[in-house]
Amino acid sequence: MFKNHIKIAWRSLKKQPFFTFLNTFGLAIGMTGALLISLFIYDELSFDKMFADAHRIYRIDADIKFGGAEIDASQTSAPMAGTLQRDFPQVESTVRFRDQGSMLLKKSGTVANTKELRATFVDSTFFDFFGVKLLFGDTKTALTQPNTLVLTKTAAEKHFGVKNAIGQSLILDNTDTYTVTGVIDDLPKNSFLRDHSVFMAMAGLADSREDLWGNTNYYTFIKLIPTAKIEDFQAPLQSILEKYLLPWAQQVFPGLTMESFAASGNYYRYHSMPLTDIHLYSNRQSEMSANSSIQNVYILSFIALFLIVLASVNFMNLSTAHSLKRAKEVGIRKTLGSKKLDLVSQFLTESGLISFISLLLALVLTLLVLPLFNDLSGKSISLPYESPFFWLILLVATILLGLFSGSYPAFFMSRFMPVKTLKGGEQKYAGGVSIRNALVIFQFAISVFLIIATLVVYQQLDFIQGKDLGYTKDQIVLIDDTFAAGNQVDTFKEEVVKLGKVQSATLSSFLPTPSARSNTSFFKEGSREQENAIQMEIWSVDEDYIPTLDMELVAGRNFDDRFGTDSAAVIINEAALPVLGIGANEVLGTRISQDIESEEAEYYTVIGVVRNFHYESLREHIGALCLLMRRSTGNMAVKLSAGDFPKTIVNIKTIWEELAPGQPFNYRFMDDSFNTVYETERQLGKIFMVFSVLSILIACLGLFGLAAFNAQKRTKEIGIRKVLGASIEQITFRLTTDFVKMVSVAILISLPLGWFAMNKWLQDFSYRIQIAWWVLALAGFLALTIAVLTVSYQSIKAAIVNPVKSLRTE
Amino acid sequence: MLLQLKNIFKWVNSGGQRIFLLKDINLSMAEGEFISIMGPSGSGKSTLLNVIGMLDTFDEGEYHFLNESVHALKEKHRSNLYKEYIGFVFQSYHLLDDLTVYENLEMPLLYKKLKGPVRKAMVGDMLDRFGIVGKKDLFPAQLSGGQQQLVGVARALIAKPKLILADEPTGNLNSQQGEEIMKLFKKLNEEDGVTIIQVTHSEKNAAYGSRIISLLDGRKIAD
Repeated sequence: MFKNHIKIAWRSLKKQPFFTFLNTFGLAIGMTGALLISLFIYDELSFDKMFADAHRIYRIDADIKFGGAEIDASQTSAPMAGTLQRDFPQVESTVRFRDQGSMLLKKSGTVANTKELRATFVDSTFFDFFGVKLLFGDTKTALTQPNTLVLTKTAAEKHFGVKNAIGQSLILDNTDTYTVTGVIDDLPKNSFLRDHSVFMAMAGLADSREDLWGNTNYYTFIKLIPTAKIEDFQAPLQSILEKYLLPWAQQVFPGLTMESFAASGNYYRYHSMPLTDIHLYSNRQSEMSANSSIQNVYILSFIALFLIVLASVNFMNLSTAHSLKRAKEVGIRKTLGSKKLDLVSQFLTESGLISFISLLLALVLTLLVLPLFNDLSGKSISLPYESPFFWLILLVATILLGLFSGSYPAFFMSRFMPVKTLKGGEQKYAGGVSIRNALVIFQFAISVFLIIATLVVYQQLDFIQGKDLGYTKDQIVLIDDTFAAGNQVDTFKEEVVKLGKVQSATLSSFLPTPSARSNTSFFKEGSREQENAIQMEIWSVDEDYIPTLDMELVAGRNFDDRFGTDSAAVIINEAALPVLGIGANEVLGTRISQDIESEEAEYYTVIGVVRNFHYESLREHIGALCLLMRRSTGNMAVKLSAGDFPKTIVNIKTIWEELAPGQPFNYRFMDDSFNTVYETERQLGKIFMVFSVLSILIACLGLFGLAAFNAQKRTKEIGIRKVLGASIEQITFRLTTDFVKMVSVAILISLPLGWFAMNKWLQDFSYRIQIAWWVLALAGFLALTIAVLTVSYQSIKAAIVNPVKSLRTE
Repeated sequence: MLLQLKNIFKWVNSGGQRIFLLKDINLSMAEGEFISIMGPSGSGKSTLLNVIGMLDTFDEGEYHFLNESVHALKEKHRSNLYKEYIGFVFQSYHLLDDLTVYENLEMPLLYKKLKGPVRKAMVGDMLDRFGIVGKKDLFPAQLSGGQQQLVGVARALIAKPKLILADEPTGNLNSQQGEEIMKLFKKLNEEDGVTIIQVTHSEKNAAYGSRIISLLDGRKIAD
């Protein structure tokens, strides 16, 4: 019987190629989208689960409010790990990272450096803690001695073969010499250590052993013993505050108590963040690597579900619409002795067959678009061919999809009564009209929603692009790691500025793009109580910084070399004013100091106030910061004049190579690094765009099929109307209005939903657009236009048929 | 006695009025009979045939088929009954267009859940008997009207029903094809003892039957 079902299903599909095409193509598109998204989500959910005992590992975070700044830190203090290990029996082991960012490496005795993106100090417990195996070297001793390091395979291969790496000497950032004591495999792409390639022994870092509770710059991971529960650990964890942090703070603020700290509106709380949740749930300052968010996973899951449901709805719609054609068959089969169940299973076989054909098509489509998708999502996903689990899920999902899509048409059609269908031509048994309409409305509602989402995301991105940032990012080239030129840096800067086509250049520690920075406490002269502390970022700059970046001073003056006293001068931003509690003009001359304990505090005099400029993403508010004129050789920003940029950059590179032979020349345009900050939004925008196009495509396929069917069903009516004198336009209008009504209802449903959801999304931005009425109008208009175009082809086709012909065929 | 209809009424309500499709029909039929039902358009011929075939219901009266009281049966039992004992032949053949002649014949046997070899034998037998072995792999669209109806009759017979119901079996055929089908019916009735009820417009075709029933406006006016 089953074989028979398959055979019949195959033939009936072959017999209606157009209908079969619409169905399979629609389903295949939906499946492709859902498959891609599922692979993406699977990858997102797999983060950090490969580490040994991952479910027992937690990172200690802290929520701090102090000195006008709120900090959600992903790091804690150096002594934290040791203290937890010592005081808490439920802590099995700990490991700390002290991240160093990028580093330049060269083999001892050579000149040329290579850049490693992420290097970190790490405790020697690293290997056992995460279950990381050494390819070469001994886990017991690898990171126990100062000035030893472990490299990943890829990093090691840049300097020497993996096999003879052990014992080799490397020079880091042109200063420190390290001995390689181990090589590990490259770390998994779906782990928080994916970019790290250099691990240096913590033993060489003096402040890792000091009791500095006030600094938060160590990523601290703990592993609980198997029987311990993390819930039982949260409360005891807070005892650290009173026992260790408070005594340390009292050295700076004598008489400080937990109560007085809280009374001034401040707080300090520890948290433990499960390792496997970090990627999707943690969004703290200075995360070890860029995280994603569970919100994106939800959004994408919904989109995947939508796509599948859309495609499946299409299938139901087209199948029930075609039931008229199959009604006779149902009647015959019933008189020949078929039971209802036989018919149901026959129709389900048919839908199952369609979903299998669609699956094949979807796999081909997936392979074709996977490179594009990887580009879009920034991942390197591939189809897991070799996993039987993958195929099993695919198989089960396809069968379920077939059953789901086929169920409504199958039960609907198998209910036909033979007497009525066999009389032939009974229009009313095309049935299920209201359900079909509801399905079309549903499809278009989703499409309109996605159009709105796309428009809003792009508008917000556009807003970000065009926003006055408080500085000019155009025509600025950033040159990284200029410290590698050693004491030639200043010569380098001078030579570059002498080039034609270069307006100015500045050396600084930070540029107004997101970076790992920290706050420092300041005090106004004469008020050294903790409640008067001011948290500010310190940026070391030179006198060319403000002019090169085209920043504006709202009061005071810029640094000037000629004033010998400017080494003790500070320029603050506007955001620091309310924290200091003074106006822009009165602030000039105010003296501030860092929270040093000695009475002979070193004071800085405020000489200028710079207009607020955005240095973090527009999601964040602008915090207080101060610029100090201090020598810093971290990176150089060069303002170019309009003209041939590549040529100028070649010229700069030539100078670099003369002054810093063998050192890598890394440059980027500031616009580009600005744009990478909004990569998530850009990706989201692209994803919304792609999937709104897909959903519209699917909805239109369905509508097209439905319109074709509708026109066919009304052939006789059209013929009669034409004989009675209706014009082609009138008929076309008549056939189209039904669909226009449905799409209009869909628009009415999705406009408020889209408006609401996207407003919610915009809340994430401190600086955001208002959703304009025309965005909603445009979304509705687009959907309506597309629907009318889709339907009118069929309507016009039906309307121009000669009535003699249409009436004769009846 | 194969079947017996007692005081069968069937009506529809239209515009507040009750319109009778069948009015007080009484009919008994023994196995081996060949009845022709005649009457003008709208006289209730097809309705009566559908009621006998249990494809349609009636509003009043009693219907006994092979000792079963059809009027008292639930829909499901009724359909099981006709699936078991009745074969249908239609004016427009109603062959399944997607299936070959062979597969069309096999269809009722599939629904009876007969085993493959049994089906093969029965279909082969039927093809042979109707002289259409050469056509077994053709699709309905490749056959003439007469040939299609031949397949239709063969399909009605293949499951060995007690009764064949034919609704204007020659209505779509030319006179020569029609005559062949009627001759086939007569032969089946006389030689194989198949019980047949046919609905027809034509006096000539009606004459092939052993008994003629005439209807007018839902009433039986002659037997």
